[in-house]
Amino acid sequence: MRAIRRITLYTILVALALVFLAPSFGLVISSLKTQSEFRTSPRILPAELQWENYDLVFRLAPFWRYARNSVVIAIISIVLNTFSSSLVAFGFARLRAPGKTVLFMLVVSMLLMPSTAMVIPQFILYTRLRLVNTYWPWALAGAAGSAWHIFLFRQFFLTMPKDLEDAAEVDGCGWFRIFWQIFLPNSLPVVATSCIFQFAWAWSDYVWPSLYLSMDSMNLAGAVGGAFVWVDPTGASLEMVRMAAALLYLAPMLIIFFLGQKYIVENVVTTGIKG
Amino acid sequence: MITETRRANVATPRRFVRLDQAGRWLRRRSVREALTFYLFISPWGLGLLCLTLFPFAMGVLISFTNYDGISPINLVKFTGFANYARALDDRLALQTFSRTVGFSLWLVPLLLIASMGLALLLQQGVKGLGAFRAVFYLPTLFPVVTTALIWLTITNKNAGLLNAAISLVRPGTAINWLGEYALLVLTLLMVWSGAGQGMVVFLAGLQGISRELKEAAMIDGASSWQVFRCVTLPLLTSVIFFQLLVSLIAALQIFVQTVLLTPGTGGGAQYGLGRVPKPSIYMYMNYVMVQILGFQRFGYGTALLWLFFVALVLVALVMYKTGGYWVYYEVEQD
Repeated sequence: MRAIRRITLYTILVALALVFLAPSFGLVISSLKTQSEFRTSPRILPAELQWENYDLVFRLAPFWRYARNSVVIAIISIVLNTFSSSLVAFGFARLRAPGKTVLFMLVVSMLLMPSTAMVIPQFILYTRLRLVNTYWPWALAGAAGSAWHIFLFRQFFLTMPKDLEDAAEVDGCGWFRIFWQIFLPNSLPVVATSCIFQFAWAWSDYVWPSLYLSMDSMNLAGAVGGAFVWVDPTGASLEMVRMAAALLYLAPMLIIFFLGQKYIVENVVTTGIKG
Repeated sequence: MITETRRANVATPRRFVRLDQAGRWLRRRSVREALTFYLFISPWGLGLLCLTLFPFAMGVLISFTNYDGISPINLVKFTGFANYARALDDRLALQTFSRTVGFSLWLVPLLLIASMGLALLLQQGVKGLGAFRAVFYLPTLFPVVTTALIWLTITNKNAGLLNAAISLVRPGTAINWLGEYALLVLTLLMVWSGAGQGMVVFLAGLQGISRELKEAAMIDGASSWQVFRCVTLPLLTSVIFFQLLVSLIAALQIFVQTVLLTPGTGGGAQYGLGRVPKPSIYMYMNYVMVQILGFQRFGYGTALLWLFFVALVLVALVMYKTGGYWVYYEVEQD
C-alpha cells in the first residue's frame, strides 16, 4: 500500500516535471531548426541540428550592442538601487526622528502600489524631460531606491546588535561610516539578494526599454521582444534565429541565479506574509 | 557666580545668544540624529516626490485635458470630466474590463491550486526534492519576452511542439491554438511561469507548521485528508490570502504577455506596447496602452487608467477587510 503510494507520487512528480520542462525544450529545439522546418514541419526534432543559427544571431543584428546596453542598464540599476535602498533602510532601522513611523508606512504603501499605475505618468515625465534614449530613467529610479529593497535591508539591519554602533561611536565614527564600514559589510547576504533581484528586474523588464529606447539604442529584452530584428535578405523574420537569441539572452539570468542561490536570503520569499 | 552670569548676559548681544542657542540645539544628539535620518532617507524622499507623486499628480491633471503627448503645453485644453464621462460610456472599455476580470477570476484559483499542489506533493519527503523544486521554479526566472516566445512557438499551428505531441496520438493535428484558444494559451503561460513562485512560498509556509500538530491529529485517528482539511489548510490561510491578493492584483494588470503573444506588426519594440492584441486576450490595460501609445490620447488614456487604479485599490481594500473573517494568524496582528 505504502509502496503503491510512493510510486504514484513519483509518477505524478516526474510527469509534472516533464510537462514543466517541455516548453523550455521546445525553445531549445526550435532554435536548432531550419526555417522551413520551423514553419511547416510537424516533426518534433530537426533533421539536422542547425548550430549555424547561433552564428546568425551575431551576424544579422548587432547582438553585442544590445547586450552591452542590457549590461549597462543592469549595472546602473544594481549599484544605485542597492546603495540608496540600504542607505534609506539604515535610516529607518537605526536612527530616531519625529515622523519616522509615518514615513515608513509610506514606504510600505508603495509596496502595495499597482505596478502599472506609474508606467504612463513616468513616461510622460521622462519624455517631457527629453530623457528618452538615455540611461537616465534607470539611473533616477535606481537612485531613489525601491520600497521592496528598503524593506528587505531594514528587516536585516533591525536584527543587528546595538553594541555594534555604540562601539563605533565611541571610536568616533559618524553615522555614515557606521553604515558604510560596519552595517553594509556585515549584511553581504542581503546585499547579494538585493543585487540579484534588481538584476533580474533590469535584465528581464520589457516595458521600460520599449518605452524609452529606440531600436538604435535597444537592449536585449527589447530586441528579442521586437519582431523583425533577425531577418533574411527578403525581410522575413527568422524566428529560429530569434529563438537562439532568446536563449543567449536567458543564459546570464540562469547563471546568476544558479551561482547566487546560496546567498539569497531564505526569508525573502516569505516577506510580507507574517504581519 | 551669579554676577558672572549676569555680566555675560549683559555683554552678549541678543542675536548672538540666539545663534548660540541654535548651535547648542544643533549639537544636541537627538537633533543631530533626526537630521541625519532625514539626510539618509532623502534619496527615497526625493524619488517619492519627483518620480512618483509629481508624475502621479500630473497624470491626474492630464486626465482632465485633451493632452496628446506632443502638443506644446499652451495648446492643451481642460475638458473637465469629459474623459471620465466618455470612459464610463465606452463599450470597448467595459468589454476589455469584464474580460480582464473574468480572466483573473479564472487564472487566480488555477495558479493557487497549481502552486499549492506542487508544494504539497514536494512536502511528502520526496527524494531529489531540490531537483524537482528547481524544475518547477525554473520558468519563473525566464524574462517575459522569452516566455512569450516559447509559447508562441510551441502553440504554432504547423510546427509547434503541442500539435506535434498531440499528433503522436492523433496524427495530423493542426490546431490553430493562438487563433482559436488564445485565452487558453495565455492561461497556460501564466500558470507555467507563475506556479513556481507560489510553490516556494507555500513550501516555506508548510515548513512553518509543526509536525507535532499533525502527529497529534493522526494519533487521534484523523485520516491524511482530515489532517490536511483541519490542520494544514487552516494554518496555511495566511499564505493563501497573501498569494490570492498578490496574484489577483497582478492578473488584473496583465498587458505585456498579451502584446507579446500577438506577433508584431512593424519592427522594433518601441510603442510595441500600444499594439492591439488578439480579440480574445484584449485586456483592459492593453486598451489603456492602445489609447495612449497607439492613438496618442493621453487625456483619455489616463482617465481610463485612474478609474482602473481606483478599482484595484478597492479590490485590495475589500480583500484586506474581508480577510479577517477567514484568515488565521498565529501571532496577533499589530
